[in-house]
Amino acid sequence: MSTNTQLPFAISLELDSSLANKTGSWRTKRPVYVDRIPPCNRACPAGENIQAWLYLAEEARYEEAWQALVEDNPFPAIHGRVCYHPCESGCNRTKLDEPVSIHAVERFLGDQAIKHGWLPKMKPATGKRVIVIGSGPTGLSCAYHCARLGHHVTIYDAGEKPGGMMRYGIPKYRLPREVLDAELDLLVRMGIRFVQSARIDDLAKLMETDRADAVFLACGAGLSKKIDIPNWHARHVIDAVKMLRDIESDSPPMLGRRVAVYGGGNTALDAARSALRLGAEEVVLVYRRDRKRMPAHSSEVIDAEEEGVKMKWLSTIADLQADPGRDTIRIEKMKLNAKGQPEPTGEYEELGADTVILAIGQEAETGFLRNMPGLQFDKDGSLLVDQQMMSGVAGVFAGGDMTPATRTVTNGVGNGKKAARCIDAFLAGGVYEKPYTLGSARGDDGVFDPKVKEIASFDRLNPWYYTDAPKHIQERLAGLRRLDGFAEIVSGLDETDAMHESRRCLSCGNCFECDNCYGVCPDNAVIKLGPGNRFEFNYEYCKGCGLCSVECPCGAIKMVEEKI
Amino acid sequence: MSTFMPGRKQVEGSHAVAEAIALSRPQVISCYPITPQTHIVEGLSAMVKSGALSPCEFMNVESEFAALSALIGASAAGARTYTATSSQGLLFMAEAVYNASGLGLPIVMTIGNRAIGAPINIWNDHSDSMALRDSGWIQLHAESNQEALDLHIQAFKLAEQLSCPVMVCMDGFILTHAYEEVDMPSQEQVDAFLPPFVPQQVLDPSDPITIGAMVGPDAYMEVRYLLHHKHLQAVEVIENLRKEFKRHFGRDSGGLVSSYRADDAETLVLAMGSINGTIREAVDEMRDEGHRIGSVKLCSYRPFPLEALREALKGAKRVIILEKNLATGLGGILASNTRMALRGLNTPVNTIIAGLGGRPIPKKSVVRAFRQIETGEVEEPHFLDMNWPAIHEAINNRGLVKRRESEAQRVLRSVSGVEVAKPVR
Repeated sequence: MSTNTQLPFAISLELDSSLANKTGSWRTKRPVYVDRIPPCNRACPAGENIQAWLYLAEEARYEEAWQALVEDNPFPAIHGRVCYHPCESGCNRTKLDEPVSIHAVERFLGDQAIKHGWLPKMKPATGKRVIVIGSGPTGLSCAYHCARLGHHVTIYDAGEKPGGMMRYGIPKYRLPREVLDAELDLLVRMGIRFVQSARIDDLAKLMETDRADAVFLACGAGLSKKIDIPNWHARHVIDAVKMLRDIESDSPPMLGRRVAVYGGGNTALDAARSALRLGAEEVVLVYRRDRKRMPAHSSEVIDAEEEGVKMKWLSTIADLQADPGRDTIRIEKMKLNAKGQPEPTGEYEELGADTVILAIGQEAETGFLRNMPGLQFDKDGSLLVDQQMMSGVAGVFAGGDMTPATRTVTNGVGNGKKAARCIDAFLAGGVYEKPYTLGSARGDDGVFDPKVKEIASFDRLNPWYYTDAPKHIQERLAGLRRLDGFAEIVSGLDETDAMHESRRCLSCGNCFECDNCYGVCPDNAVIKLGPGNRFEFNYEYCKGCGLCSVECPCGAIKMVEEKI
Repeated sequence: MSTFMPGRKQVEGSHAVAEAIALSRPQVISCYPITPQTHIVEGLSAMVKSGALSPCEFMNVESEFAALSALIGASAAGARTYTATSSQGLLFMAEAVYNASGLGLPIVMTIGNRAIGAPINIWNDHSDSMALRDSGWIQLHAESNQEALDLHIQAFKLAEQLSCPVMVCMDGFILTHAYEEVDMPSQEQVDAFLPPFVPQQVLDPSDPITIGAMVGPDAYMEVRYLLHHKHLQAVEVIENLRKEFKRHFGRDSGGLVSSYRADDAETLVLAMGSINGTIREAVDEMRDEGHRIGSVKLCSYRPFPLEALREALKGAKRVIILEKNLATGLGGILASNTRMALRGLNTPVNTIIAGLGGRPIPKKSVVRAFRQIETGEVEEPHFLDMNWPAIHEAINNRGLVKRRESEAQRVLRSVSGVEVAKPVR
């Protein structure tokens, strides 16, 4: 007690501590810092930790952000342009204003890496040798991840240049080739060996001569499906895959004035939009179902319409010659049955067209593997693999479009990453296990297991703390101005806008050190560990009131039942 | 600080008080609005916003509990602090009210006196400040807007001299919302009377101490006694301030008690607050008729000036207490306290409970009650202008549980014949 007689008796006391009163013993629930899975990460087919690299980007730590990004995906400059960004469809920010423009920041980081020549971090060499067949997104991704893990990688590819469908399928206006080449160069700089124009006939022999410990097959689905239409020779008929490939060559395809494109997938849209750029005066897309049921991404359809592609829904090509005297094809009108499938109606009409581009789907070309005993194939020719992505032959893995898969660049990259991890585990004599499994997205069951992760759904956030911030828009070439050539349509964001977009991230489910928990804790039981190191709870004093959990903006604190 | 307008002027009671507070240079004001005190803090917030009152931090808070809690912190850090409240607002801050006095923090608070629910009622009586009469705060009651204004200036000085919080009680609406002529002092006058605040204890990060931590049975009783002792000292300080105030401002305001035509009175009426004006008119009327009656106004309810009050009342043959509260199960609180002041004198004390929930107290009713008491015709305590038929009906109906109607609704119906709020069927 104070000896100062000026101070009120027994009211003003000497400096003392209440630390002897360990209020933690009152607790029935304990707060735990968790890293929940943000919906963007969950939606990303490449398994990117988007929240993590946005967090670094918003602090202008661009190289670190890029390093975090390329842990999962070596091609941010490519993906920032061509990925249909399902991450943004999942983004919780949609419920506040608009999703974070994740792809624009990704593109910015990719372009920065190209500018500065950043290299990813690699593990020491293991001495193991891996062969990858196919240099499309899946093969390249697998090669990249195997190389990061320290394995020696050689890629064999039939094309003149590497890239697969990224080069020979996606038009330049979506993916400029200098960007593609720059990101492929990263793999060369990492020491991956590319063997181009190499068609493999005998895989077993190649593995032997190359002393390969494992092989990854990612030959894609470059074979167009066949179709029979009457009067086949009456019109100039082109296969969309070949057409897109030829645009890359010295001899671009010859088209007529009026072009009909048959199909409703992304390839059909690429072909139609490219046809306009090659000089066709009129391009009509003929598709059996309606707009809602098109497999193509809606943004592609909107872009195509802006550029002048006409759409003929609920239509099929019945005959390539409607009238021998004229350049017309016969269209049969279709209707949808109760299941949404197209059925013929018996109603016909003529459509003027001198050229017909077929884009009705692709399949895997797996004929060269038939001489290898132990491999199994699906009816459509795709190669069957197990959970570890391994075929019937030990050490022979396969992925991408040649196995049953969703055929986008990003799915391919994710598939290649998983393959690399399975191959790595195989080379070490084990099997690959995911570091965590997903738990229930709703309801606190009070159980805490760090290997079970929850989704950071919107209802886990406390959005009151976030300010409104509409997204910054990337500039786009106007529809008609795009047709002069294959110039890129969408511009990148500058640094200011990219940082603005990064800062719009809500950091769902992952602490971003806002200090709310530190500020609201009535027991001073939140210990600050310094910038970048987050916080920890002092359970000797935490009473388990749960304020921190409720006031955490991003849902990174879980209340867990104490065993009493 | 821009200057206020000194001199005589016609203003609302709340605004007169707000200006007097501002002249007292509070450094932190924290409040939560509640009728009928709201105009005071509205006025102050406008002055802070305009810069007329500066430097001053005006804190908007989410409740009365927060308002006073914030001031406890500000006062402990050495700031002159002020708030105002009424009715359930005061009840809601009750825990902090005790803390402020226990810690010896000289906070000044206006109580715009108002009844307490249920049933909810926004009008004047003294139930609210009476509920916290033993919280350790000094409680001063103002009779007029002029006295309310003056008491606030005195209150800061009183609080800071004793390191004890002070409530200045003024009747809700009757004073807070009444436009009266007041004499507003100048800033120079107030500054000359009220020196800057020098805290007895202060929180200072460079010389840390602990304030208000747990104290065990070994010291708690002494702490309570020391607060009681401050109140005993206050009895003297309040009278001194009355004199000092008169020297500075030329007016008699505050003090412990004030008598009116009491010298030869056989009957003395004691009351607090604005009703004293009506009582004095009743005294004049009855004096004209030959009654030897006078009145005594009690300004300081806490500390309760036992000696001064005994001195003021001891010559009377009977004492009448007119008060705006009811200690249920007992009677009048002020009457009860007054009997303690008169102990050993055998003076009969009659109680008039009047004006609860804002019921008007007309001079006619007051005079009638005084006459009845003089002739010994009334019950004790006497409830002024009570509607006894309604009471009797309500009491008779208590046994009839079939009716799902509250007593308040039943009384209301029998008084007005109108169903204001429909009972639940």
